Amino acid sequence: MSSPSFNQNPTPEPEAPLIGFGYNYATVTDKISAIVLSKRTPRTWLVGFAIAFALLMVLMLAIGKLLFVGVGVWGIQIPVGWGWAIVNFVWWVGIAHAGTLISAILLLLHQEWRTSINRFAEAMTLFAVACAGMFPLLHLGRPWLFYWLFPYPNTMNVWPQFRSPLIWDVFAVSTYATVSLIFWYVGLIPDLATIRDRSKKTLSQKIYGIFAMGWRGSAKHWKRYETAYLLLAGLATPLVVSVHSVVSFDFAVGIVPGWHSAIFPPYFVAGAIFSGFAMVLTISIPVRKFYGLEDFITERHLNNMAKVLLATGLIVAYGYLMETFMAFYAGGRFDKYMIMDRMTGHYMNFYWILLTCNVVVPQFLWIPKIRNNVWVLWVISILVNVGMWLERYVIVVQSLARDFVPSSWRNYTGTHWDVATFLGSIGLFLTLLFLFLRYVPMISIFELRGLVPKGDAPAASTGASQRG
Amino acid sequence: MKKRLLYGLMAEFDTTDDLLAAARKTVAEGYRRVDAYTPLPVEGLAEALDFRDRRLPLIVLIGGIVGALGGYYLQYWCSAVSYPLNVGGRPLNSWPSFIPITFEMTVLVAALSAVLGMLALNGLPMPYHPVFNVPRFAMASRNRLFLCIEARDPKFELEKTREFLKNLKAREVSEVGR
Amino acid sequence: MTPSESLPVEWSRFQRGALLAAIVAFVTCAFAGGRNPDQFFRSYLFAYLFWIGIAIGSAEVVMLQHLVGGQWGLALRRPLESGARTLWLMAILFVPLVFGVRHLYLWAQPQALAQSEELRRQSFYLNMPFFFVRVAFYFAIWLLFTYLLTKWSQDQDRQADPALGTKFQVLSGPGLVLFGLTVTFASVDWVMSLEPRWTSTIYGLIFIVGQVLSTLAFMIIVVMLLSRRKPLSDLLSAKVRLDLGNLMLTFVILWAYMAVSQLIIIWSGNLQDEIPWYLRRTAGMWGNVAIFLALFHFFIPFLLLLSRDVKRRGWLLGAVAGMILFVNLVDTFWLVEPGLLRNGFRIHALDLATVIGVGGLWVAFFIRCLKQYPLVPPNDPRWAESLIRAGHD
Repeated sequence: MSSPSFNQNPTPEPEAPLIGFGYNYATVTDKISAIVLSKRTPRTWLVGFAIAFALLMVLMLAIGKLLFVGVGVWGIQIPVGWGWAIVNFVWWVGIAHAGTLISAILLLLHQEWRTSINRFAEAMTLFAVACAGMFPLLHLGRPWLFYWLFPYPNTMNVWPQFRSPLIWDVFAVSTYATVSLIFWYVGLIPDLATIRDRSKKTLSQKIYGIFAMGWRGSAKHWKRYETAYLLLAGLATPLVVSVHSVVSFDFAVGIVPGWHSAIFPPYFVAGAIFSGFAMVLTISIPVRKFYGLEDFITERHLNNMAKVLLATGLIVAYGYLMETFMAFYAGGRFDKYMIMDRMTGHYMNFYWILLTCNVVVPQFLWIPKIRNNVWVLWVISILVNVGMWLERYVIVVQSLARDFVPSSWRNYTGTHWDVATFLGSIGLFLTLLFLFLRYVPMISIFELRGLVPKGDAPAASTGASQRG
Repeated sequence: MKKRLLYGLMAEFDTTDDLLAAARKTVAEGYRRVDAYTPLPVEGLAEALDFRDRRLPLIVLIGGIVGALGGYYLQYWCSAVSYPLNVGGRPLNSWPSFIPITFEMTVLVAALSAVLGMLALNGLPMPYHPVFNVPRFAMASRNRLFLCIEARDPKFELEKTREFLKNLKAREVSEVGR
Repeated sequence: MTPSESLPVEWSRFQRGALLAAIVAFVTCAFAGGRNPDQFFRSYLFAYLFWIGIAIGSAEVVMLQHLVGGQWGLALRRPLESGARTLWLMAILFVPLVFGVRHLYLWAQPQALAQSEELRRQSFYLNMPFFFVRVAFYFAIWLLFTYLLTKWSQDQDRQADPALGTKFQVLSGPGLVLFGLTVTFASVDWVMSLEPRWTSTIYGLIFIVGQVLSTLAFMIIVVMLLSRRKPLSDLLSAKVRLDLGNLMLTFVILWAYMAVSQLIIIWSGNLQDEIPWYLRRTAGMWGNVAIFLALFHFFIPFLLLLSRDVKRRGWLLGAVAGMILFVNLVDTFWLVEPGLLRNGFRIHALDLATVIGVGGLWVAFFIRCLKQYPLVPPNDPRWAESLIRAGHD
C-alpha cells in the first residue's frame, strides 16, 4: 500500500468510461464552476424558472384556499380520509429516497460512477422531502398546531401516542430531512470553497465564503472529513430504508385489508428506490443535454441507473404478486374481496395502468439496446413515475373506500384543489431545482478530480494566469 | 519579515506523488508543525504527515448510544411513567412500537455528532487563516498542491527551511504572513 | 502461483468423518424413528430445511457474484458452485418427506379437512397432488440452473472464452428472479403451511435472506480453512476479507430488518389469525429462544462485524461465521418446531440425529464436489486481475 497508483490497475474487461477524455483537475473545476460563476443567466433557464415559479404560485393559492376553508376542499370524506394529500406525500418521500441512496450506498460499495450524479440526486432528495413534508402538515387541518406532534412539556400534560405509526413518521421524516441536509451540505463544503476562491464578485465571495466555513483543503481536515462523510453514509443507508418502512407502517400497522400486509416495508422501500431512480433519470437526461454534461453523466451512468430501475421494479412486482397470492391462499373473505375489487371494481383502470407502468414497461430494460437509448429510457422513467403515483393512489383510496362493512363504502375523487396542490408541489420542487442548478455546483467537483487520470493533471495546469 | 509576523513557509507542488514524497521527507527531517493543502483528498497524505486521529468514530459511537437510550427512554417515560394510558390493551411499555423512534433517534444523534464532531475537531468554521494570504493559495481549491511548514515549529529556520523545501521538487516557495 | 491446486488431502478425512457420522446418525434414526414416525418426520423436515438452505443459497450467491463481480466472488466461487451442486443430493433426500406429508401437514389429513371449513377453503392450493407437482417444478428449475452454471464453469476451465462471462450474466439475472419466486413458494409449501391459517407476505423474503446468510457463513468458514495454503491464501487479501465481512453484516441487518418489520406489523395488528404464530414462539422456553435469536442473530454479530479489525482478521471472521451458522440452525428450529409441537418446548434426540445425518451426507457430497475441480477457476478474468494486484503488493 505504498502508493495510491496501486488502485488504478487496468480492469481486464473494457468498460465505458465514467468521464470524457482529456480532463484534468483544472478543466474539471472550470467546467463545473463556470455554470455557477457565469454572469449571464441562460434564457432557457429563465423560461424554465418562470414556469416553475408560476406553478409555485398555484401552490400558494391552493394552500391559501385550504387554510381559509379547511381540508374539505380536498374532497376527502369518511371513509376515504386520506385522499390525494397522502398519495402525494408517499410519492414525494419515495422520490426523495434515490438521492441519499445513490450517495450513501454507492459510496459504501466503492461505485465511482455515483460521483457525477450524487450531488444532484441529493439536492433532489432535499427538495422532494420538502414537498413531501408539506402534505401531512397541511392535512392536519390546523397546520399551525403541528408542534403538538413533538413530545414537549406542555400545560396539558399529555404526550404524543408513541404506539402510533403517525408519530413514528414525524420522527422518521424530520430525521431524514435533517440528515439529508447535513449530508448534502458536508459534501458541498469543499466545492463552496472552490467557488469562493474562483468568484470575482465580492458579494458572492462573501456568501460562498460564509457557507464554506473557511475550508482550506488541509490534509488533516480532509482525513477527518472523509471519515465523517463515510460514517454519515453508513448512517444514511439504514436511515433511508427505515424512513420508507415507517411510511409503510402508516398503512400496514392498521388492519384494513390492502394495508395490513407484512411485506409492506421492503416493498415500499423498493418502490421508493424505483420511483426515485426514475425521477433522477427524468431530470438528469434533459439537464445533461442542456448543460452539455454528457462527459460527466455518461451513457454508463444511465445504463447503471436503468439496471437499478429494473431490479427494484422486480421487487415491487414481487410485492404485488405476494399480496395477491396470500389473499387467495389464506382464503379469508375480506382480503380476497379487496384484490378482486382492485382488479374489477371502481378503481380497476388505475390498477391495470399501474401494473402496466410498473411491471410490464420496466421489463424492456432487460434489453441492453433499450438501456442505451437515452430517450426511450426517459419515456420509461416518466411512465414509472406515473405508475408509482397510481400505485399509492390505489393503496390509499381503494383500500379505504372498500373496508369491512358495505354500509360504509364510498367512492372518492379528488377535487381541482387537489390537482392544484399537486401541480403546485411540482412547482415548488422545480423552483428549488432551478435555483440549485444556477447557484450551486451541481456535480461534486472535488470528487470528479479524483476520477481524472492523475498523471496529466499538473502538466496541463497553467495556474498563474487564472486569477485576474 | 520578522519571525513573529511570519506564519510559515509554503511550497507548491506539481503532482500528488511529489507532494507525498515531500511530506514524507519533511516529517523524516523532524518537522512537526506541517500541513498540506490539496484540492481533493489524497490517499496516504495524512499518514505521510504522521497524522493520526481516531476520535471521530468514537464520538459518533457515543452519539449513537446516547440517541438510542434517550430515544427509548423518552417513549418509555412518556407512555409508562408520566401519563400511563391504556391504548387498545397494549402494554404500557410497548417495546415493539418503540423500535422505530429509537432507531431514528440513534441515527439522528449519531449523524449530528459526526458532522459537528468533524467541524469541531477541524476547528471550523474559521473565517480567517494565514494561508489565505498567499495569492496563489486560491488555486489550492482548483488544481494546485501545497505544503506548509509553520514558523512555530522548533526546527524552523527561515533560510534553512526554505532551502530544504526548494530541494523537494517544489515549484515555488513563498512566505506566509500572518 | 497457479490456480490449479486442488483440495488439500486432509479434507478427504473430513469427508470420511462426515460420511461415518451420517451413517451412525441414520442408524439411530432408523431405530428411534421406526417407533415414532411423527417425530422422525418433524425432525427430518427441520434438518432438511437447514441444509437445503445452504444449497439453494449457494446457487443464489453464485448468480449474484456473476452479476455484481468483485474479488470476493472469485474467492467463493468454487465452494459456492460445489454447494449448489449438492442440490442433486437434496433432491434425493426429499424422498422421505414424500412419505411424511400426511404426518406433517394438517391440510393433508382427511380428518382435519373434514372438521375445518377454513382448511377446505385453502385446499385449492394446499392439496397433495398439486404439492408434489410444485415440488417437482421447484427442483426442475433449481437443478436446471445448477446444471448450466456447473457446465459452463467447466467449459471455462477448459478454455478461456470471454463470451462466457456474458452468458453467465444473461443466465444469472433471470435465474435470481426464478429462484426468488420458487424459494418463496417452497417456503410457503414446506413451512408456512404447517400452520395453514397463518399468512405473512414477507415470509418468503425472510427465508431467502436467512438462507443466503447461512450460505455466506458456511462458505466463509470453508475459505478460511482453505486460506492457510495457496491459492486461496493469495486471494483472501485483507480487502476481500473486509468485503466478505461486510456482505455478512449486510445480510445480518437485512434479516433483522425483515424480522422486526413482520413483528411490528403483526404485533400491532393483533389479529386472531396472525398473533398466535408469535404467541407460540414466545411461550415458555420458546421465549428464551426468541431472546437468544435477537441477541445472537442480530445484536452480537452486528456489533462484532462493525469492527474492521474483526473483519480483517481471518480467524475472527471465521468464528463469527460459525456463530451465525449455528444461530441459523436455531432459527430454523424456532420457525419450524413451534408450529408442530403444540405442547411446549422440546429437543428430541431425533432432532440432533437428523441434523447430523443429513448434514453428514451433505458435507461429504460437498467435499466430493469441491475436490473435482481447481479451487479457483483459472480462466475467470478476475484471477488475472488478482495476479496484477498481488504483483503490486
